Amino acid sequence: MFFGPSKLYEFWLPRAAGSVTQHGSSRQPIFAFLNEEKFDVDGWMVYNPVEEYRRQGLPNHHWRITFINKCYELCDTYPALLVVPYRASDDDLRRVATFRSRNRIPVLSWIHPENKTVIVRCSQPLVGMSGKRNKDDEKYLDVIRETNRQINKLTIYDARPNVNAVANKATGGGYESDDAYHNAELFFLDIHNIHVMRESLKKVKDIVYPNVEESHWLSSLESTHWLEHIKLVLTGAIQVADRVSSGKSSVVVHCSDGWDRTAQLTSLAMLMLDSYYRSIEGFEILVQKEWISFGHKFASRIGHGDKNHADADRSPIFLQFIDCVWQMSKQFPTAFEFNERFLIVILDHLYSCRFGTFLYNCESAREKQKVTERTVSLWSLINSNKDKFKNPFYTKEINRVLYPVASMRHLELWVNYYIRWNPRIKQQQPNPVEQRYMELLALRDEYIKRLEELQLANSPKLSDPSTSPSSPSQMVPHVQTHF
Amino acid sequence: MEFSELIRTGQAQAELLRGPEMPPLRGTLCVTGHHLLLSPGPQATPDLWLLLLRSVDSIEKRVAGDAGTITLRCKDLRVLQLDIEGVEATLDIARSIEALSSLESVITSFPFFYRPKGLRLGESWHFHPPERYYKRVARETRAWRLSEANEDFSLCPSYPRAVIVPRTVDDDALARSARFRQGGRFPVLSYYHAPSGTVLLRSSQPLTGPQKRRCAEDEELLQAVLAGARPGARGFIVDTRSAQAAKQARMTGGGTEAKSAYPGWKRLHRPLERGRPLQESFVHLVEACGDLEQSMDRWLSRLDGCHWLSHVKAALSTACLAAQGMEWEGACILVHGAEGTDSTLLVTSLAQLILDPLSRTMAGFQELIEREWIQHEAPIFLLFLDCVWQLGRQFPLSLEFGEGMLLALFDHSYASPFGTFLCNSEKERCLCEVRTRTHSLWSGLNQPKEQRKLRNPLYAPNPLAIWPSVEPQSLRLWQGLFLRWTHPPEPSEVAWEKVWQIATDQEKTEGSQPTDSASEPQP
Repeated sequence: MFFGPSKLYEFWLPRAAGSVTQHGSSRQPIFAFLNEEKFDVDGWMVYNPVEEYRRQGLPNHHWRITFINKCYELCDTYPALLVVPYRASDDDLRRVATFRSRNRIPVLSWIHPENKTVIVRCSQPLVGMSGKRNKDDEKYLDVIRETNRQINKLTIYDARPNVNAVANKATGGGYESDDAYHNAELFFLDIHNIHVMRESLKKVKDIVYPNVEESHWLSSLESTHWLEHIKLVLTGAIQVADRVSSGKSSVVVHCSDGWDRTAQLTSLAMLMLDSYYRSIEGFEILVQKEWISFGHKFASRIGHGDKNHADADRSPIFLQFIDCVWQMSKQFPTAFEFNERFLIVILDHLYSCRFGTFLYNCESAREKQKVTERTVSLWSLINSNKDKFKNPFYTKEINRVLYPVASMRHLELWVNYYIRWNPRIKQQQPNPVEQRYMELLALRDEYIKRLEELQLANSPKLSDPSTSPSSPSQMVPHVQTHF
Repeated sequence: MEFSELIRTGQAQAELLRGPEMPPLRGTLCVTGHHLLLSPGPQATPDLWLLLLRSVDSIEKRVAGDAGTITLRCKDLRVLQLDIEGVEATLDIARSIEALSSLESVITSFPFFYRPKGLRLGESWHFHPPERYYKRVARETRAWRLSEANEDFSLCPSYPRAVIVPRTVDDDALARSARFRQGGRFPVLSYYHAPSGTVLLRSSQPLTGPQKRRCAEDEELLQAVLAGARPGARGFIVDTRSAQAAKQARMTGGGTEAKSAYPGWKRLHRPLERGRPLQESFVHLVEACGDLEQSMDRWLSRLDGCHWLSHVKAALSTACLAAQGMEWEGACILVHGAEGTDSTLLVTSLAQLILDPLSRTMAGFQELIEREWIQHEAPIFLLFLDCVWQLGRQFPLSLEFGEGMLLALFDHSYASPFGTFLCNSEKERCLCEVRTRTHSLWSGLNQPKEQRKLRNPLYAPNPLAIWPSVEPQSLRLWQGLFLRWTHPPEPSEVAWEKVWQIATDQEKTEGSQPTDSASEPQP
């Protein structure tokens, strides 16, 4: 865990850090393994891959579930269960794995319920300086395209800037070229790598901690470029969502290794397309699936139990994703079942190591360490207290695609997270609007109950509704800020 | 003067482009004495679009071939484009709009002709805010009286007929004090703060001049204020000019209250921008919001460069200072700048919103505006509305009115079928007979069908003072106003509707309780 003011993430941590016992240099186990908390709900049961695929109508005629990775032999950073085209045999998959970085072959993330276009994720092809080609990989992408008869050209979104993708060739990577992949067209989404994101967040920290930059606040914020990166990530996800929603083409998403920017793009696009993921349990499943099971390197990115905080692997990629979700929830206040507190609690426990949810880098490591048996899941905490995390304005809608406006004018710095410890920033815990809503709901329930009791006691005839309804005289206490 | 003299072309065929979010309208365009009308034909909805000519700020015209384009920039920040068939028609219509949108005479303006069904002339003008407010004050203390020394506007042409002054000061003293203050604006009561028994006053600058003149009656007035408040009460004079500007004012006949002449009163300087710099700030902001071509990489620094939000911060800070003086120090506060009409009003009205829960109700807020504001079109009123919006954002349950109310006030302050915002002073209003010949804005807004858009469904009366955070990170750009025409309002409207639903459902359940109390279980 992190101690001392010099560490980058220290100021994000909750003050009551009493639950943290791990010390970088001592060899004590991470707290999650010592935690003996009990909850009513078992959060480990929330995500069941087969059930989630079944919800999407899979397997179907064109897509099958394969257990080829049951023992993580094909790809040790992928989950055990994968969904691949029916027409691709297990041997085909093994051959494709040799041409993809870290063996992360293209597999299905999501399928559109009506037009059957899909979002597929993978890593970069190992093209290299010599421009290598792999017939199996090319055929495989074509098989993916043909799972939907209507598609002429598969769309490939490479999350990287063009320049970086080309530069990656020097280290053996690259991207799908036009001549090799005739039935596909590729677009670059210009999202920068983990090092740029780390530096950007560091700049944000510099202007809010220990003192908030007052004199040229907006210009200082602009110079961090943090909101610009948020904008690029959201814009990329919008493109993915739009493509799939229009039915014109299926989408293949990758970056370099397919576990950072790729995860952001697929999960945000799925959030835009599928209203199920906007419920509390749906979102937990989304995170569990696209981030945790698909091998986003939480341990490396956060550095659980590692005293080396300046490691080049550290990066706020997951935080950035949650920030994007928060931006969406501001633009669509009725679309998400969860509230801001839900997102902040998830971020808190990203670092706290109180739960086993974010430990280690991939499913195979977690299985080896028996994480689900020896630790508690974060979702146990949340699902035992769902009322605290619910958005009072949630209106459940099916099949509404959300397209957020990813313009700088409509993105805001998430002050309630990044500057939450500064006493001069107005904060209200709990959110007074939510509290008022709870009061109104409680009053309404009370009145309904009384009404029912009276209806039972009296005759059914009621007098006219009073013409001057009075608002409850409850007074909400307000926090006085230092001025 | 006949309006028809200014209208050259009766009608033309045109297409109206209303911006990126709304579909264009095509139909017959027509200029009347007060409005621009577009009739898309009986099948279309809406079947009639109209614009008050008064709301037009500037016009550009272009002709090409046998058609022309008129671009109208409105005071509510909308930009409208009319593509008109016929070059002559275009030029004539443009000239008519130019002439009719800038008519000087108040009594030719639309409020003098607006006669909607369902409203009776003379309704809601009965406010007489100083008299009404005085009744509230008199319930709390006997130290003040209502003076009608300004009955014929001879003491001060920009004050109302009646003002609230200390009981021990007589009308002659007021007259002398008025001669010692710029524009005759002698110190009068703006707000009485019951919890501490102290008061907020406003005025204009004293005419001390280079000879350091004094006025015994003016000094007596301010002494009486302190004496009437609490024994040993102190006073603070919040001067909205910088110390330097205040000193320089002496050279041109103005100045400040000398320490020795006003014992018990301490002067504080909190410079607030007004006039030209504020106007420029506003213009830059509007340009930045309307500029859809600029690179978004520079949006934040451009916003910073407008300095609009720093004006918001300064206004709220100074209001908090005045409020703190009353609530925490138990002191009396006098606010003035030079003329006492711009930044002074900003401070006094915001301080009341911070301290007084009654001014946060719908009725109280309307009264506050009548009492303090009905003066100018300057961006300072918009700055006030922006500050109120910031308060509402930080305290979402404490204001009985919502963003819709603030937007309505903004729109109506520039161009309105109602007479409330006409004229610059009570005197002018009396001369033009505004009260008897036009409808009050409040009668229009207080109609039940309007209230849903204007009220805050989450309102819960809060008896405490509300202290806003003025850190730049806590202040936001008022998107609902400045980005009104470029950002689709739909998601927030959906949310607003849902919130209303929750609140009215709860009221309905409350309201359908049977009224026989004998069998009701006690809560």
